[in-house]
Amino acid sequence: MLPFFEEEMKRIEESIEDYRGGIRRNVAIISDPYYGEADLMARAASVAGPDGLRIDGRRLRHDFGILERAPQRIVVVDEAHRLSLRKVGGFDLMDRFLRFVTSEERLFITTWNSFSWRYLEEVLGIGRHFPRQIILPRLDAGQIREMLLAGREEGELTFVEEEAPGGDSKVLDWRVSRRAVMGHNIDLPYPSVDPGVIRSRLKRNRKEKKSGEDAFFERLAQISDGNPGVAEHLWKEALNYPEVRSSLRDPPTIDLDFDESFVLGVVLSSGSLELDELSEVLGPMDLSAETMAALLEEKGLVSIDGGVVTLRAEALKSDIEHERRLRLVW
Amino acid sequence: MGEEMATVAPESSSNLSASATSEGVSEASAGISSALQAFGIDSSTIVHVILVLVLAYVSTRIVAFLLTRFSERFHWLRLGIKMEIPLAKLAIYGFAVYHILGSIFQLSTNQLIALSGLVGAAVGFGLKDLVAEIVGGIVLVLDKPYQIGDKVRIDGHYGEVTDIGLRATRLVSPDDSLIVVSNQRMITQVLANATAGSLEMQVVIDLFIDSSSDASRAMKILRDAAVTSRYVYISSKRPVTIFLKDYPFYKRVRARVYVNDLRYEFKFESDVTKRAWDAFLEAGIEPPKAMVMDPVSTSPAA
Repeated sequence: MLPFFEEEMKRIEESIEDYRGGIRRNVAIISDPYYGEADLMARAASVAGPDGLRIDGRRLRHDFGILERAPQRIVVVDEAHRLSLRKVGGFDLMDRFLRFVTSEERLFITTWNSFSWRYLEEVLGIGRHFPRQIILPRLDAGQIREMLLAGREEGELTFVEEEAPGGDSKVLDWRVSRRAVMGHNIDLPYPSVDPGVIRSRLKRNRKEKKSGEDAFFERLAQISDGNPGVAEHLWKEALNYPEVRSSLRDPPTIDLDFDESFVLGVVLSSGSLELDELSEVLGPMDLSAETMAALLEEKGLVSIDGGVVTLRAEALKSDIEHERRLRLVW
Repeated sequence: MGEEMATVAPESSSNLSASATSEGVSEASAGISSALQAFGIDSSTIVHVILVLVLAYVSTRIVAFLLTRFSERFHWLRLGIKMEIPLAKLAIYGFAVYHILGSIFQLSTNQLIALSGLVGAAVGFGLKDLVAEIVGGIVLVLDKPYQIGDKVRIDGHYGEVTDIGLRATRLVSPDDSLIVVSNQRMITQVLANATAGSLEMQVVIDLFIDSSSDASRAMKILRDAAVTSRYVYISSKRPVTIFLKDYPFYKRVRARVYVNDLRYEFKFESDVTKRAWDAFLEAGIEPPKAMVMDPVSTSPAA
């Protein structure tokens, strides 16, 4: 169990107590992918005890009847956003679920991908069905350090200073733009400033004033955007026991066309998606799910395993920035 | 002989007129050069002026190119950054004129008054339209009734504003035609601005169905097609609205919905229409039937 969502866990327990006392307030736990909300749900299910049923959205998608048949009064639904798909007719099951949530006397504790939640809030107004909304907060450098060093002794690990990859990149570089002048194509050179290199050099200068360990966790918090799952993934990459390499890579730069960006947004809004589900979304748009997923995999943004397309943790921050910039997620 | 005379006479008259013209030109050029000398302007000053104007032109092109690149990089600031292009052009040309008058010509107060008189006469006789267009350009830059990137309709033309120059505004129509409208017209005509500086833009999509088709189902399908489009933008201030209107022989289902970037206006419309019709046909919703009059049933004898 992650040690820093205690406040959020307390609110979930309060909801269960209130329900047992006669006040029903359905709960929605909202977070970006990799936040580790499944641990919270496991704990919620154990608090509910024999009165509780835990089920995930993907299973409900295939057999909604389970929910209707189950006798338990407290229903814990993991990844409830999976009940909708972004296609014509893709909200029917979600509509059915929301009607069920409103009409039943049971308590629903649900988790939602934050991007899906905001989209579904605009499209279906789902917020009114879940009066208690808990948004998992991002972690700061201290909390990430506490999480990753839990169970280790002081001085057990050595933080080794290394030059970040790509340190020889130029701030100012020349690029070429092809222009048609009087019927001839002419290559015109123009200066291009790389803001990523400037940021990275500024960070490196600041970092020098701090200890290697402090600088490492601050950079980890910044690259992971306070996301515990992403921080843990990057930690595993940096850890070579008993050494921790400080050379954390910057999130990849994203260069996608609009359709590829849309597909990435669909995956981001779910965390992971089966290729069949992606085909259902992209088919009517005359896009091939296999081709688009392969293109995203080639660019290091997703991985495809067993027919499931999953976001790569290390690219999550770049994905979110890119999608927000194009206003494909809100 | 008479024929010869007839042929010679025009030649001699043409020679006379040519020599008279060349004399006139040389007199005029002598007059201009003496006038220029009176202002202390020699050939090197003229070269200097031309150089400054060329530099100003090249600078405006470079600044416009760099700002456009920059705006594409920071997508959400695109329209704001592009709006600075006309201001930058105005500043560069303004500085160039100031430099020419102040540093190159080094005009005194009397000379400035004389120059204003000349400019006034030139404007009054031949350049008033050009000056009106430039003044229109300055008014547009300061008043901002539209920005680069806005979709506007003026004089029956509809298109995206791609450039606001000192003299004219350029629009690109949906069929990729370049429309150049003088700035004077842009400030005097009634102008409809569909976006007014926002990236998103409302799009109205009409689909027509047969009267006997299930209208409620059609409304739901059109709504689904709109909100699931890759180009859609939805927020509490930009909601999706579906309307139904009944006509004698068909029904109209209308979606009012926002596209996330006005550049995708027509792709958005096509995407929603295509996917909605695919789903309509699957659901047995049909397009209106062509109304063919049956001559037998409508004849008086029948």
